[in-house]
Amino acid sequence: MTATVTQPGALSGKPLRAIAAIILLVNGMFPALWILFTSLKTEAELTLKPISWFPHAPTLANYMQAFSDQPLHLFLFNSLMVALLSTCLTLFISVLAAYAIARLNLKYRGLILSAIIAVSTFPLVTLLVPLFEIMRALNLLNTWIALILPYTVLSLPVCTLMLVSFFEGIPRDLENAAMIDGCTRLGALFKVVVPLCAPGVFTAGILAFVNAWDEFLLALSFNSNPALRTLPVGIQLYQGEFAFPWPVISAALVVGIVPVAVLIVIFQERVVSGLTAGGIKG
Amino acid sequence: MTTSTLSTTDRIEKQPPAWTKMLDLSDRALAVLLLAPAALLLSLIIVYPVLRLGYTSFFSLSLTSGLPAEFVGLDNYRLMIDDPVFWETTWNTVLITLITVPGALVVGMALALLANLPFRVQWPVRLSLLIPWALPLSFAGLIFAWFFHSEYGVVNDVLMRLGLPGVIWFNSPNWAMAAICLTIIWKTSSFMALIILAGLQTIPRSLYEAADVDGAGRVRQFVEITLPLLKPSIVVALIFRTITALQTFDIPYMMTGGGPGTSTSTLAMYIHQNTISFLDLGYGSALAVVMFLLSMCVTVVYLRIIRTKG
Repeated sequence: MTATVTQPGALSGKPLRAIAAIILLVNGMFPALWILFTSLKTEAELTLKPISWFPHAPTLANYMQAFSDQPLHLFLFNSLMVALLSTCLTLFISVLAAYAIARLNLKYRGLILSAIIAVSTFPLVTLLVPLFEIMRALNLLNTWIALILPYTVLSLPVCTLMLVSFFEGIPRDLENAAMIDGCTRLGALFKVVVPLCAPGVFTAGILAFVNAWDEFLLALSFNSNPALRTLPVGIQLYQGEFAFPWPVISAALVVGIVPVAVLIVIFQERVVSGLTAGGIKG
Repeated sequence: MTTSTLSTTDRIEKQPPAWTKMLDLSDRALAVLLLAPAALLLSLIIVYPVLRLGYTSFFSLSLTSGLPAEFVGLDNYRLMIDDPVFWETTWNTVLITLITVPGALVVGMALALLANLPFRVQWPVRLSLLIPWALPLSFAGLIFAWFFHSEYGVVNDVLMRLGLPGVIWFNSPNWAMAAICLTIIWKTSSFMALIILAGLQTIPRSLYEAADVDGAGRVRQFVEITLPLLKPSIVVALIFRTITALQTFDIPYMMTGGGPGTSTSTLAMYIHQNTISFLDLGYGSALAVVMFLLSMCVTVVYLRIIRTKG
């Protein structure tokens, strides 16, 4: 750690780094930590004035209540299944499309890439009415499919663009060798190219999963059946008409944050590289 | 083309099982086959709905009335022009975009510069930028609604400890809007910071060393080296942020429900209300067409920038 670094803003030195670290950590972690603290407090402690910061007598009662007041396990299950299934569908479709774009000398390559970028900026909100009509006509309201299909579209462009750049990094010779050994092109794709790009495919999968896990508007609009609600929609149900049981809501929020937080903690480097390389969506 | 002819001749010698021959397609047929699933899905979820959207916006179609759709020409649009709530929600949407996009850029830039310091351990910094990004918008809305709670919220607690008066955030349109914008900026600035940080790390250190030799100060280095080199990644991030800002729904919906009154309601919330709560699909479509055109303008700018770049 020499002090010769001359980056803008890098007024080097230990105290500055310490202050910077505190600002970054508080900014990033405080909201989630605060919700964790709230979820461990009793209703009585919550209404103390001045407010208490750390829970005096941490209790898990709010978590019990979160699961008993509403079918939180169902919300979790629905969110997980919708996110997982749409991630698989996204990966399958974008692997095929990305391979065609990266490897086959397409005549309309430029046009296809422009179309993908246009779709990536497409405001899905504006299609609320027609999608609602389509799902109603196909009898898909209150099913996972009503969410899986739009969520797949949500992540398809980002994942395809990411995979195109990964596929272009694989030497063609490897595929040719596989084909000489009697593989078809499709066989070579799934036996050689995809395994070699596994880290890239996996990163694209995480992004698709987080996108689907976060989505709120379509889930709110298409799945009103309590048994089919996803987490973001279900969490609103804890508020009564006049009461807002914050400790219980906080407990439900913590339960909803944990799965994605685990993914992020384990795969942080990969997620950052994926986000900054191909996937631009925030 | 050369690769496929080469492999075909090779394969004849090897005599693969007959059924694989059926899968041995020409490049063109293979391209169609590989792109078909994406094309099918996009036609069902984007292309057909877009056409349908324009079509429905010329009809009076309300599911509550039970009447069949009736062609009404531009009536929905006329209704919209006379509808003060349409103007209010559109203005709120534009206002949120104008505040939160530059806001996220400035905060994101600051976070990125801090995160770019030579820390010995990188992961806590990285994680503190990733968590706000990964947190669902709707969760962020709820969490910050609790932060800004007038009685037991931590924001008012801190304000009071600093000797400032607390604010009843959600009773006044302006304070409610401020709380919403602060939340959106918090939620979106981390992603901006990640993009900028990635850009910062590609700038060769030698440039700054040369500037040091020339006696250029830190501020001047930032303006003349850092900013121009970051421009491409910032522009792309800004455009995506703008488009998502125009669709703002989750955070105001969770924090204020659009209130007080409709003072913090956005266009997306108004579309949702007309479509899902009132089941007035005709009017909902006309509103959506406006939002569609708004974001198309941004997309066109984006595509043009990309094309001029390469």
